[in-house]
Amino acid sequence: MSDKPSITMDPHERDYVQHLFGKHVSWGQVRYLRCAHLDVYERSRKGSTFIDAVSKERFYDCFSSAGCFNVGRGNARIMDTLRDALDEYDMGTHGLLSAAKIDFAGKLAALCPGDLNKVVLCASGADACAGAIKLAKGATGRNDVITTNKAYHGHEGFSLSANGKDYYKEMFLPLMPGFHVVDFNDLEAVKRLAGKDIAAVVLEPVQGEGGIHVATREYMTGLRRICDEHGIMLIFDEVQTGFGRTGTLWAMEHYGVIPDIMFTAKSISGGLYPNGAVVYREIEPLTSYVEANPCFHTSHGGGTDLGCVVSSAVLDYLVENKVWENAAQRGARFKQGLTDIWKANPDCVKEVRGLGLMIGIEYKYEFIGALMADCLARQGVWAVFSGNAPQVMRFQIPITASADEVEDLLKRIQAAVKAMRWYLIALLPLARLPFVRKLLDNVKFQIIAFNLIRDIEEFVRGVFDLKTQGVKS
Amino acid sequence: MKQTSKPKTVFNQDYMSQAEKVFSAGLVNLLRARGHAFLEQGYAGSWTHDAAGASLLDCSSSGGACNLGRKNAAIVERFKKAIYETDQGNFVMPSQEKALLARRIADFVPGDLDCVLFGVTRGESMDAACKLARGFTARPGLVTVDGGCYGESGFALSLSARPGKEQFGRLIPEVTVIPFGDEGAAAKAIGPRTAAVVMEPIQAENHCRVAEARYYARVRALCDNAGAKLIFDETQSGFGRTGTRFFFEQLGVSPDILIVGEALSAGMFPMTAMVFTPELKHFFDIHPLIHLCTFGGHDLGCLVAMKALDEYERLEPWHGAAATGATLVKELGALADKQAEKVVSVSGRGLLLSLKLKSPQAAVSFCAAASQAGMLVETGIIDASTVVLRPSLLIGAQEAGRIVDGVAAALQAL
Repeated sequence: MSDKPSITMDPHERDYVQHLFGKHVSWGQVRYLRCAHLDVYERSRKGSTFIDAVSKERFYDCFSSAGCFNVGRGNARIMDTLRDALDEYDMGTHGLLSAAKIDFAGKLAALCPGDLNKVVLCASGADACAGAIKLAKGATGRNDVITTNKAYHGHEGFSLSANGKDYYKEMFLPLMPGFHVVDFNDLEAVKRLAGKDIAAVVLEPVQGEGGIHVATREYMTGLRRICDEHGIMLIFDEVQTGFGRTGTLWAMEHYGVIPDIMFTAKSISGGLYPNGAVVYREIEPLTSYVEANPCFHTSHGGGTDLGCVVSSAVLDYLVENKVWENAAQRGARFKQGLTDIWKANPDCVKEVRGLGLMIGIEYKYEFIGALMADCLARQGVWAVFSGNAPQVMRFQIPITASADEVEDLLKRIQAAVKAMRWYLIALLPLARLPFVRKLLDNVKFQIIAFNLIRDIEEFVRGVFDLKTQGVKS
Repeated sequence: MKQTSKPKTVFNQDYMSQAEKVFSAGLVNLLRARGHAFLEQGYAGSWTHDAAGASLLDCSSSGGACNLGRKNAAIVERFKKAIYETDQGNFVMPSQEKALLARRIADFVPGDLDCVLFGVTRGESMDAACKLARGFTARPGLVTVDGGCYGESGFALSLSARPGKEQFGRLIPEVTVIPFGDEGAAAKAIGPRTAAVVMEPIQAENHCRVAEARYYARVRALCDNAGAKLIFDETQSGFGRTGTRFFFEQLGVSPDILIVGEALSAGMFPMTAMVFTPELKHFFDIHPLIHLCTFGGHDLGCLVAMKALDEYERLEPWHGAAATGATLVKELGALADKQAEKVVSVSGRGLLLSLKLKSPQAAVSFCAAASQAGMLVETGIIDASTVVLRPSLLIGAQEAGRIVDGVAAALQAL
């Protein structure tokens, strides 16, 4: 196999790719994704969709790499910008300034509310999270940080310490001391901890991996007040919520609350080239600290020349097309459609929640996550359940999606729920037995059972020469 | 949304004022002191330029990332096409791009380092390595050597001797720092609670410090006896920089986990990797998606890195780095002998070289003088009295001569 990606792959080529991935990266990952029918191979990425190289069927991308493709996949303008930039730029020399870096930082600051005027360029969401926490700790001279249950900020040392799910942390202990985890939307818990030891409160305005939990206005304004009273830095993680995803350019705009520090990444460069940023208020003690320690957080792969050119083009595109308005309109319709599905299926759907085009549908049982991912895939909808809450299916389609696409997507989701109900006829009575439910919710069991079903299915399809997948185009 | 005017034509001073405003005046002042307060543009091959058009022989290579010169033409050509073949991809999914690059890396790296986890920064890859070692061994202890520099992320910073890290409060616990090269200290520190021993086999930011060959073998043996894993960070020394593909080849000692930096893409794409043994991969097989990185294994970056690997294999730049580096060490050594009142010593391997001056201030002044002499160099992060020389591995004799001339001129100006 050459180093050029195949436009299409037959099952043998796919098996070979899986063999290579399994041998050199992780067999576990291959099996895990296969069990939920998430093992597609993306090609012809365009707008809200991509084509699976194996089945040659088109899928709606309802994950968008956790919200990276806000300008749509295969955005010609952004791709052309990167192509043309390659005549002038590479990553640029780390530590030197360039017009590309300064222009982008200026543009980003100009698009942030209030006195969020100062920028530190970073390479990724986790890198930016580390930068934000370091800034708060360094500027306040305090150690401790308040974070929230089910929060997801990344996997490097600072961000991992701030994560709110034990599974991601427990095998790597001890992590940084002084991170206090409290319930999301629980203001009293923050009040109890607030004091002279606390450097920062860190949270996502809408928890993504945690299962699409939206912060309340009272919570956000309350946090602002508590932080002001105690000299605590309020940090918003807008890695997933930024760049129009929630129906405003930044999720913070829904609340009228400006954090002291905000960090972002993902859609910052449209899914084409890594970049990230910390943006902080032009206030004391932040500015004095950075003036005295301008290299407090440096990032080799962050704020590169190419990254900044691409990110500038992304910002221009978002602003010129007011893409967040589309997210608000399409999001409202999508949420209504999902709510209708919820009302029609109260025995298996618990709730629908979200902001803009960051919407989650919570099922009553954890095991439904993988089952529903499979049913959706068979309807041409590629959607991923939340890492920190498997019972929540996340829908984060590119926010450039059209009204027709949203309607079509809702129809497919309806069909997937209908198909899932057949499985549930057998599974729901069983799930009432505690030990069976425990087994069904167990990821290892799901991997074995669903992979076995896929093996049998592929064998039958092979024998009867059926199409590899039943996905509608 | 704030009201701002559009950026105007490139005027250095306007941009510097804007940089002071949006970044910090402290940063611009730092650059001014080093003679680096200019806008970089128009780089290619071994050279970079400022906005006024002045040429600078690039002896930074962005921290040893641009091993094949700036904006390598073959990689740029492939990159342009690749933009229309793929994008980042959904990061949780296996992809053909990731699978193929992982295989290529496994083929490129010597020994049984056959498995790969992609990252986007050096620090994130180091953090992943520490987590893998802790997770696999079910032990907490991390032993490292003094004078190391591994990045800015949580674990990496905890292991580094980076000045000022105490500002960030209590970092990752269970980290033991031992003197580099001290076998006795290693024997005492490495034990049943040790998950991993972490080091750069050559400390680029610390005057290219190395230990005696037997030290590495001894640490390897101690790790094997204790069931601990050995992690080498070759972010700066990898991909031919020191005269072999990786510096560990010169030591006769292979690590369990190897960190490679942005030289993987020859400085064209922010991509790093942790390369490790099949034994360790078992941990990721039973705990899939336990460590994630949205931009790690970026499908477009994979295609760019594969082309970079093609170029590394075609050009085999380590041979040139070994030969040119040997000449440079000799000539810079002669210069140092003549200027003993200014230069403490010359150190390094291949084209990873370091000059130790009398003080951190002298190193900063040297950078400024080198800029005036048409050469871009940076001070060492750990030993601030040093200046690190990391030119493209593809420099010829003429450019090597320019480095010697540049160093001579900068020393003269001190």
